[in-house]
Parts: sequence; structure tokens; C-alpha cells
Amino acid sequence: MFLAWNEIKNNKLRFTLIVSVLMLVSYLVFLLSGLANGLENMNKAAVDKWKAQGVILTEESDINLPQSSLSLDDYDGKGADEFASLAQISSIATSGNNKSNVTIFGIDAGEFIMPNITEGEAFQNANEVVANDSLKEDGFKIGDELRLSSTEKTLTIVGFTDNAKFIAAPVLYTDLQTLQNVRYGEAAEVYKDQINAFVIRTDDLSNVDVKKELQVVDTTTFIENLPGYSEQSLTLTFMIYFLFVISAVVLAIFLYVLTIQKISIFGVMKAQGISSNYLARSVIAQTFLLAFAGVILGFLLTLVTGAFLPDVVPIIFQYLDLLTYGVVLVFVSILGALFSIQTIVKIDPLKAIGG
Amino acid sequence: MSVLEMKQVHKVFGSGHTKVEALKPTNFSANKGELIAVIGPSGSGKSTFLTIAGGLQPPTNGYVFINGRDITELNEKQRSVIRLKEIGFVLQASNLVPFLNVNQQMQLLDKVKKDNLPAEKLEELYQTLGIRKLLNSFPADLSGGEKQRVAIAKALYTNPSIILADEPTASLDSDRAFEVMEMLQEITTNSNKTTIVVTHDTRLINYCNKVYNITDGRLSLQTETAQ
Ligand SMILES: Nc1ncnc2c1ncn2[C@@H]1O[C@H](COP(=O)(O)OP(=O)(O)O)[C@@H](O)[C@H]1O
Ligand SMILES: [Mg+2]
Repeated sequence: MFLAWNEIKNNKLRFTLIVSVLMLVSYLVFLLSGLANGLENMNKAAVDKWKAQGVILTEESDINLPQSSLSLDDYDGKGADEFASLAQISSIATSGNNKSNVTIFGIDAGEFIMPNITEGEAFQNANEVVANDSLKEDGFKIGDELRLSSTEKTLTIVGFTDNAKFIAAPVLYTDLQTLQNVRYGEAAEVYKDQINAFVIRTDDLSNVDVKKELQVVDTTTFIENLPGYSEQSLTLTFMIYFLFVISAVVLAIFLYVLTIQKISIFGVMKAQGISSNYLARSVIAQTFLLAFAGVILGFLLTLVTGAFLPDVVPIIFQYLDLLTYGVVLVFVSILGALFSIQTIVKIDPLKAIGG
Repeated sequence: MSVLEMKQVHKVFGSGHTKVEALKPTNFSANKGELIAVIGPSGSGKSTFLTIAGGLQPPTNGYVFINGRDITELNEKQRSVIRLKEIGFVLQASNLVPFLNVNQQMQLLDKVKKDNLPAEKLEELYQTLGIRKLLNSFPADLSGGEKQRVAIAKALYTNPSIILADEPTASLDSDRAFEVMEMLQEITTNSNKTTIVVTHDTRLINYCNKVYNITDGRLSLQTETAQ
């Protein structure tokens, strides 16, 4: 640490450069991680809100909610602690000049997927909905009459809930009957038992017993099969991993150049009897200091950015993730330093002394 | 017992027609309180002699004993420990770490070795070498003579039994060179060290108890004066 720290103190410019690069790399990693969380959340928040372990869909649906069509009496709750029926459609809701994509959930208000109410009240009568509060930012408010793209019917916002987005669209919750009216119009009476899925809570999904044409899908799998979800997270995760490699390589190159420049100094120290081991530990300590400083600064920059980010930007920082990525960044930086250590071990003190 | 003893030490580089006999089979010994000069022209084998004596490279044949211990048997890691404990190198080129000030050059040695000179002895050493005022200076701000004096302080701080100096006055003018030799002489006598200076500079022999000549790898005693 002694050598490491004194060298940094006396070569401020070059080490500031290294720390800046590491800071920017970690900043980018943190932003991407936030973006990954934000985008994931936009797709699955409404599913997380269920706090459920599984979903029952038809075999034919290919784990795709809109493609799954089953009847209210297809499942009687066997093997589940609790279950809730769910019907779903996508639409576009318009009120005055305000317009938004929406997902409509038709549910039974007495079942557990009924959302919490953060403002206004729960739906009670036909054609009343509880909306995700992100719609407020788009100008919607309680009492608004919503015209839907797929029907002549209008719905009325009576309350708001939070964290209810499904495949990037805000969710409108309403009762099953209203949804059937919207979905089937005149034929609603005929199809009143048609839903898309059952949502189940249980400790052990394998106990859930369903008919042959149905399948039980755990929540994680259900989320991963949301359209585009896996592709999106994979892309971002890949970018983050790639940044780990970049930071390791960048630091390896920097440290290697610094080490090459110091070969004669290291040689003289080795001639004097200072062990390679001590010198190697000093390089590791230095790398640690640089990487740590870079990550901390990157983190602060992230915090500042987070404070100024408008709500529409889908970035959510999860501090445990950031911590993990920070630790990984420091760790890969140290891996990059190992490259230089090999050079130090090989330095022949005799050469440094000269003839 | 001699502090440093070399028995039939022989060093050959390369083989065939590129073979160089840098040091012909050599016997040599040095005792406490002796300041020894090894004088020879460039390429005569001075550095080879000194680096073998200091455990920086093994001889092709023969044995080197430091305080009775055969160091030719040791591996680089073990020799490095011997160098740290027993040898103080003073080199032609500055052997100072550029990003440490004079005081920190010594502190670095504290990080790797425990029983270095106590504070009052170090203070004395600074006085003797006249570098008391330079403790906060970095190598880049020191003159050639000052650097060399700091290098001597560094070599002595670990309290080694042997001081090996390779052309320690090469970068200095005559006055500075004599100053450095006076200091080496004073330290060798007062602290009872064994000091070997290899050089091509014959002006330095007046400061030494023994003077050896080296030509084409052959070492021969030239003069010996009473201590
Ligand atoms: N590592 C080496 N490989 C090959 N030849 C060497 C090596 N080191 C020294 N020599 C040769 O050994 C001879 C003595 O070198 P050296 O001890 O450095 O002389 P001096 O220090 O007196 O100038 C020279 O001819 C030099 O070329
Ligand atoms: Mg030489």
C-alpha cells in the first residue's frame, strides 16, 4: 500500500485518467443495470404485484397470456392455497386529448389479484376501472371517461393503483363482466365464463392438479415468456458483461504500460532484496485503490443522474445489483492487474543494475 | 572468519564462439573494516565480480560465502533475502524510487525488513552524509552527488555487513567523487563494515585498504595498506 499510494500521490494526472476511465465504465454499467431493471419492470410489474407462484394456461397457448383461453370451471383450486381468475385484453384508451396503450385485466374483486388503491376507490359498478398511476402523467384523472379502440363502450376511472404495468402498457383493472362486455360486445353473455388464466398461490406448484389441456407455469417462466422480455434482458446483460471485459482489458493495458515503464525501478528494488511478492501485492493494492475509487465515483455519478432523471425514463436502480456489479468491476480490474504481475516476477534485477 | 569469501569462482557467458569468460577462476576474501577497490577498464569483469559477490547472479563454478554461508546453493528467492539482510548496493545509476522522497526511501525498507537502523543512528547517518535538509525532496530534485549520497544512506540503512558499490562516482565530478569516497571510508571504519568499490577510476585508490586489478576477468592484488 505504501508504494502504491505514494506513486498515485506523485503521479496524479495519469492515475486520475485511469480512475476517470473506470468511473465512466462503472457509470455505464450502473446505468445499464438500472435500465435493465426499469425495462424489466415495465413488462412485469403487474405480474410481480400478484405475489403469486404460478399461472395456469392452456397447453396450446405457448405460455402467452392472450393466446390462452379457458373457462372459469376448468380449475377448482386443487393443490393451490389461493387462486384467482384473470381475463386480459390490450387496447388503446382515449380521453379528450389524452391517449395511451393499455392492458385491461378483468378480475374478481374478491380475489387476491385485486390491486391496492392509492387514490380514489375500487371499481364497484359496471364499466368502472382502477388504473395504473402512470396514466396520471399522461393527463388522465379520476372521473375520466375512456373510449376504447376495440369497442363503443366507455369505461370510467374511479381509482388509481401503483406498479401496474404489463408488457410496457399501464393496466386498467375492472370486473370480469365489464371486460367480457368490452371484449365480446353483444356476445358477452355467451362467453361470460371465458378467461385467459388462473393465477395461483401455493408453496409447491407440483401439487397443483390441472386438466390435460392445461399447464401450470411458474411465475418466473411466465415472465421470461412475455413477448420480447428475455431478448431485452439478455441484450442488456450481455452489454454489462461486455463492459466487465472492457474494464478488465483497459485496466490491464494501463497497468501493463505503467509496469513496463517501471521495469528498471522494480529491478533496482529487487536487487536490493525487496521480494517480487511485495511488489506484486503493491500492484494489486494500487489496482484495488484505483478500481474502488472509479466504482465509487461512478456510483455517485449514478446517484446524481438518478436524482435528475424524469419519471418517463424507465431506469430503476436496485442497490443490491449495483453493489454486486461494483464488486465484480473491482474484481475484474484486479484480474487485469495479474497480467502485469507476471511481468514483475520475470524482471531480472541484474539487468536493471546494468553492467 | 571472512565476511565475504569467494572460492574458485568462475563465470562463463555463452558457449562456442560466443563464449565469454567474464571472470576467470577467482579466490577472494574480505574482512570487517576493509574498504577494497577493484580497478579495471570497461568490460574487464568488474560488474560480474560484484554481482556474483552480492548474490545477484550465481557463478558458473565455485562458491561464494557470506558470513560463512554458501549462497551459490540458494534459489533467487533465498538470495533475495540475503541481499536484503546482508548487502547494501550502491549503483552507478540512481537506485532511488522516483516517486518516494528521501525519507520515504528509507520507510520503504521498513516495510520489507524489521531491524533497520534505529532513529538516532539514521539521524547520524543523515548528518554524516549531509542530506539532513533533503529528507522531503524527491530524486528528481536532487543533484547527482546528492542522489549518490542518498543511495549510500539507503544501502546503509538496513545495516548490512557488506556494501557493494559499482562505479559509485561515475556520474560525479572529482570533488563530489572524493566526498563520496570519504564517506564510504568513514562508514567502513566507524561501523566496521566491509566495502567493495569497483571502478575504472584510479583516483579513488587512495581511500582504500586494498586495491585489486582486474583485466579480462583475471583478478590480482595490487597494493595493500595497513588499516
Ligand atoms: N549477461 C551477459 N551475457 C553475456 N556476456 C556478458 C554478460 N554480462 C557480462 N558479459 C560480458 O562479460 C564481460 C565482463 O562484463 P562486465 O562484468 O559487465 O564488465 P565491467 O563491469 O568491468 O565493464 C564483458 O565482455 C561482457 O560483455
Ligand atoms: Mg560494469
